[in-house]
Amino acid sequence: MGRILIVDDTLFMRTLLKNILFSGGHTIVGEAADGEEGIAKYQELKPDLVTMDVVMPKMNGIESLKGIRQFDPAAKVVMCTAVGQEQMVKLAIKTGARGYIVKPFQAPKVLEEVKNVLAS
Amino acid sequence: MSEFEAYRGLFVAESRENHETIVKSLLVLEQGVDETAIDEIFRAVHTLKGASASMGFDEPERLCHSMEDVLSLIRAGTLEVSQPVMDLLLACTDAIEEMVDGIETGGAGHHGNTGQLVDLLRKWVDLGSGERAAGAGESFSPDPSEAEPAEFELPALDDRPRYRVRVRVSEESAMSDVRAMLALSNLDALGTVIATTPSRQAVDEGRFEGLLELEIASDAGDEALRIAASGTEIAEVVVVRIERHAPGTDPAVPAPPVTGREDDDRRSRDREKEKGREIKNIRVDIHQLDHIMNLVEDLVINRGRLKQIGEQHQIKEMDEAISVVERSVSELQNLMMLIRMIPLNQIFNRFPRVVRDVAKHDGKEVEFLIEGGETELDRSVMDGLSDPLLHLIRNAINHGVEQPEVRERAGKSRVGQLRLSAHRDRDNVVIELADDGAGIDIARVRRKAVERGLYTFEAAALLSDDEVTAILFQPGFSTAETITDISGRGVGLDVVKSSIEALKGSVKVISVPGKGTRFELMLPPTMAIIQVMIVRINTRRIAIPINSVIEVASLAADALHRIGASEAILLRDEVLPIYRLDEMFGPPASGGIIMVVQYLGRKCGVPLDLVEGQQEVVVKPLNRLIGSSRGVSGVTILGDGDVVPVVDVNTMV
Repeated sequence: MGRILIVDDTLFMRTLLKNILFSGGHTIVGEAADGEEGIAKYQELKPDLVTMDVVMPKMNGIESLKGIRQFDPAAKVVMCTAVGQEQMVKLAIKTGARGYIVKPFQAPKVLEEVKNVLAS
Repeated sequence: MSEFEAYRGLFVAESRENHETIVKSLLVLEQGVDETAIDEIFRAVHTLKGASASMGFDEPERLCHSMEDVLSLIRAGTLEVSQPVMDLLLACTDAIEEMVDGIETGGAGHHGNTGQLVDLLRKWVDLGSGERAAGAGESFSPDPSEAEPAEFELPALDDRPRYRVRVRVSEESAMSDVRAMLALSNLDALGTVIATTPSRQAVDEGRFEGLLELEIASDAGDEALRIAASGTEIAEVVVVRIERHAPGTDPAVPAPPVTGREDDDRRSRDREKEKGREIKNIRVDIHQLDHIMNLVEDLVINRGRLKQIGEQHQIKEMDEAISVVERSVSELQNLMMLIRMIPLNQIFNRFPRVVRDVAKHDGKEVEFLIEGGETELDRSVMDGLSDPLLHLIRNAINHGVEQPEVRERAGKSRVGQLRLSAHRDRDNVVIELADDGAGIDIARVRRKAVERGLYTFEAAALLSDDEVTAILFQPGFSTAETITDISGRGVGLDVVKSSIEALKGSVKVISVPGKGTRFELMLPPTMAIIQVMIVRINTRRIAIPINSVIEVASLAADALHRIGASEAILLRDEVLPIYRLDEMFGPPASGGIIMVVQYLGRKCGVPLDLVEGQQEVVVKPLNRLIGSSRGVSGVTILGDGDVVPVVDVNTMV
């Protein structure tokens, strides 16, 4: 079970994810509403894993991922994505994302991915 | 779906915000291509799509998806921002709003026009994409500089063990190519991938059938490679060592990675730290808030009751306890008031769209400015404010702002200006709507008033300009030549006036011929709990809102003067008309006291018998069964259970 930081610009998605992750026994150590805040929170909280939305205001998920990896090359970042964003996710993976989950979220899949990435 | 039922409220609230963002930014976009506006729309549409999909509402999801396609073409510059495109996108936002409305009331977001709108959007996509094949729906395109590092420059003499790895992605994976890419990326971290089938590029471009085969040179060992390649939605991983080098160099398998590295001590410390980072804001169902408000009102009433009982019995301990309760209740009440305050932007944000539609319909050009939208009002006031304001805005465009040619002839800019502003003025909130149109045509209003039989010709001629303006608010008066389908419908300013007065507010209109018209709405920030003076007339108790009370003076019988049919007194060089509440409550026994009340700068004196004191009360509206109750805005229940009418001062002066 890991300490997780959720980065997503919508309260709706954060709440949804939080409940799913919580139900899987994880601890949500923090939430961030945009990419910049995501980097700051990562440095502050040093979570085991980050769930990162791709499309966000101010700084998108890829840029935020870069920032986090600069600070911690071993950071475990899971991208939150949707069908139609394959290119973005591939770019994220090349940038160092360790996994991805697809909206609409299905709790078992989210938990499986998070577990796998935490164990990797 | 049912598992998401709990999120319905949250979904609706956030979708409304996103809908507003889309409309606002579309209107910006309409003025000319604006990168930020496009990004804003994109983000909002995208979020809406994601949330809809999560909730299982396919129609909004489908519509948003198609909107994204069109928007991406606009962003790429291949589709021009034209009026028909804008109209279509706005029509889509209307549909979205209706879908959200439906979802709020328990529906699944069905909308009769979704199919048609999606088809129309697709036509624009076909038109705009032309030779551009891919990319529709994609919000970003990968930066070529981010391309993978060259991996083919493999040293020929790599003496690390080689493995053949076969990865099969589960058929149920929504993005099997991405899974393959992830597996590939994980393997990259452990060694050098030599060749892949299909090629990396093919996977990157989405040409992937579910099976990835590759060769890798790595020191990590077959078990580590197997772990790296497996993962979510990976159905099968087979790792086979290629016997090429001398055996026996197989490196030790690294210990499986440990995740929870920190000791328990640090963990518990972290957990303590987390407490300070809990969620700062929550959304609350408005009905629950109303319920709490009712309970607080009951508490306020019973606090008064307790206080009176305490005064009768004079028990020290009880008085102390009561004063503590009193303080808490006051604080609770203040908090409750604050919680119920909502910024006016909640309704203001809907208006730019209305202005656009009405102006377009009328063939007018209007610039719409909003100021002070952050000013807060109680929800109960806000609820009743939207329709009257909407009416005034339509009215201002229909009747205030002139046609562009007319404006030019009058030496004004073609574009009319409509300014909606709000600010706090002591205890009130003032909302102004000002246009720079032709102003009210006094002569025409006078003529119409005679035509409608509201006044005789002679009486109308005697009216002052202010009085003529006031006719606008009389029932059955409308100067519109033709009733438009947007405003009009025979609903006049009288309805605006009565709605605002129902909120304990007032409407004032100031008009300068040729320069424009300004409507000024004065509203109390809240109307549920107010400070009143409790007074007695003829042994009956009456409550008068304290914000309209100016002073209380003693009234000598000989100070009263008769001026024609009415009475007046002279109070410190000021002549004040007298307003008697005799009709309602009977004549005062002594009438030795006069209370001076004011509304909109006009004052009058009300003769009373006794002033009991000041009190905070909960005003309950009168039931509709009682019928018209002009002069009384509601009733309140005092601590001793006495039901007391709260008078409406604006009907007196």
